[in-house]
Amino acid sequence: MKTKDTNLNTTTRPTWCPGCFNFQILAGFKNYVASELKKKNVTKDDFAICSGIACQAKIFDYVNLNGLNTLHGRELPSALGLKLGNPKLNVFAFGGDGGTYSEGMSHLIHAARHNANITFTVHNNQVFALTVGQPTSVTEKGYSDKTTPEGVVSEPLNPIKLMLNANCSFVARVFADVKQVEWVYKEAAKHKGFKFIEIIQPCIIFHPNKGYKEHTYMLEDKKHDSSDFNKAMKRASEWNYDGIKDDTKIPLGIFYKKKRQCMEDQHWQLKDSAKKK
Amino acid sequence: MKYNILFGGKAGQGANILTHILAESLAEEGYYVFYYRDYKSLIRGGHGFNVLTFSDKPVHSHESKYDLIVALDQETIDLHKKDLKKGKTIIDGKGQNMYFAGRMYKALGLSFSLLNKRLKKLGRYEENLKQAKAGFEFQEKGFDIVKVQKKKRTFSSGSVAVAEGAVKSGIDRYYAYPMTPATAVLGELAQRQEKYGHLVLELENEIAVAGAGCGSACTGAKTMVGTSGGGFCLMTEMLSMCGIAKIPLVFYLAQRAGPASGVATYNAQADLHMARHAAHGEFPRLVLAPGDPVEAQELTSQSFYLSQKFGCPAILISDKHLAESYYTTEHTPVITKIGHPTKFGRYNSYEQDPVTGSATEDADVIIANVKERKQRWNALKKECENFEGYKIYGKKSSKNCIVFWGSPKGAILDAIQGLDVCAIQILYVEPFPKKVQKILEGKKNIIAVENNATGQLCDVIREHTGILIPEKDKILRYDARPFLCDELKKQLEKKLK
Repeated sequence: MKTKDTNLNTTTRPTWCPGCFNFQILAGFKNYVASELKKKNVTKDDFAICSGIACQAKIFDYVNLNGLNTLHGRELPSALGLKLGNPKLNVFAFGGDGGTYSEGMSHLIHAARHNANITFTVHNNQVFALTVGQPTSVTEKGYSDKTTPEGVVSEPLNPIKLMLNANCSFVARVFADVKQVEWVYKEAAKHKGFKFIEIIQPCIIFHPNKGYKEHTYMLEDKKHDSSDFNKAMKRASEWNYDGIKDDTKIPLGIFYKKKRQCMEDQHWQLKDSAKKK
Repeated sequence: MKYNILFGGKAGQGANILTHILAESLAEEGYYVFYYRDYKSLIRGGHGFNVLTFSDKPVHSHESKYDLIVALDQETIDLHKKDLKKGKTIIDGKGQNMYFAGRMYKALGLSFSLLNKRLKKLGRYEENLKQAKAGFEFQEKGFDIVKVQKKKRTFSSGSVAVAEGAVKSGIDRYYAYPMTPATAVLGELAQRQEKYGHLVLELENEIAVAGAGCGSACTGAKTMVGTSGGGFCLMTEMLSMCGIAKIPLVFYLAQRAGPASGVATYNAQADLHMARHAAHGEFPRLVLAPGDPVEAQELTSQSFYLSQKFGCPAILISDKHLAESYYTTEHTPVITKIGHPTKFGRYNSYEQDPVTGSATEDADVIIANVKERKQRWNALKKECENFEGYKIYGKKSSKNCIVFWGSPKGAILDAIQGLDVCAIQILYVEPFPKKVQKILEGKKNIIAVENNATGQLCDVIREHTGILIPEKDKILRYDARPFLCDELKKQLEKKLK
């Protein structure tokens, strides 16, 4: 028996800072799921959420869906496990830039390679926020905190370029704005495969918004061809996570999507028709 | 009658398949058979050998001295001639492995049709047949072999048995990253997918393997992951995850000689403490240690059953010797069917509010959760009393008593024949069987036999019973080789009172 309950709220009180951009992501995700639940035969039982450790991971506590709040950086293996355990589940995984691009980097590249039909959101605030402000692998050079008094010397990664090179079948980036978030989930739903969505989510305490949003533009407005890999790479190279200057332009939207066979469709054991003996 | 035969050659020459088909045929004819594999971490060349023992009476181990050496190259003769029993022969000559198979079948009085049956299951049939015929014709019937009645027995390795136990338990998912000596189970389970419908998948590293294992287990899929010591280290964080989130994941841990990369293709029983203590926090777990293929099947099924029922991780601890040696077994394994499938819900790596499924920092909820874990732990201990947590062999009333766990079982069973001694095997290391204390308290002379340098089971016994087994009463082998029954017998005789 599937549940008829459509309430996505938990009674857990959010502990994000007042005004945190994570609230925008939470609202955007809940709006999207709520719209799905209005569809015939779609219930909460069809969804699974998976998050890890740190600020963004708390989204697990604020959305009343089944799932697994796993360990730091292991959102992708655990989400893959959920999907392979029950391929009918619509799996949404949430990671931060620390967990995803540092602790769990190998999983990210392999997730793109596996191409299981999972939607993965990276809340990128370019800082380890819950541990009070250490630099991650996407923090700009020169960033300084108590643990790095002389400043960061390494260059930040460009995760969009990385995912394009990893042959990820769906690569998108939006800003932590409820409308953009809801929109990108709706777009991602049209694509079957591993969906990489990065959300720029400035940390209002440790890596504040120095005009990120003002420097963004939508790829869709520029008639970007998301089937063209080279054009996607060119757009992705426009901003290298190296801070905001006067002429900084941060492209948002869908960089690239390409239809590719997903993992679970290639294992007969996972098909509906496969009966276990 | 007992024959102990060494087959040696370079890796790639096929001494292993030669041993295997002959062993299968001997088992089919009704003999008791055991064979051990000794190979190095290389693909072609070098030197590797197998030791096959067969008899009309039960055998579970091999010996250090040979009745026959089958040499596929000169190095085999150079290295092992010193261990040939007086007046015994070496079979050598120019030919491929199936030439030697032909000679061996003839020498042991086995029919050519038995050999042909095996050849048909291998590749390169025509070429092998030609070689086998040449060998069979060349060889004179050499040995006076006692004929036995045909009897159906299972002939399998510990790895085959773990795979069989898993499919009989209804395994849905097996995730692994290749690592000797756990890889054989990966292969055995992969080969069984078509018949049983489970999925076997190799992921990017052991962290991903255990992470995916947790994910699948949450959804109700009966899931196992497999590795050796080094990979288990990487899985440890997820072991802790299972502990807090009540995830029923089965970990297959096949030990090899460590620390670190250690001796990749050789044996040790040095990871018992790791299996018992790895991962942070306090939570119920199972550590089950089979000593032969029948127990490997049974304990695999008990791992699934108990972990599903009590929402806890189960560690099935084996080693290279059990995993890769082949044994004839007479008993049909008893499979425990799973009665408590896991339901999907909200699983959390944080201390969890039972109502919302969300993380909590509330002291009262934390206390309640810890108490629930302790209660579940106690219930698990109680249920485990229904299973054979220990076994006793030999002369039960003897004042001399061996204690052991895992793969030394074979050598011990063969070595204690005719000695005034009993042997207690611990199968449930965690939870430890309570009744063992009383039995050990009644023994004057307790001797530990372990494939490690410190006597890890002795520590476990000390912890649970207070009984101290002094260093002088430990027979420890730590040259990365398993116990051999003749050598062990001599060591035991010195310690008996």
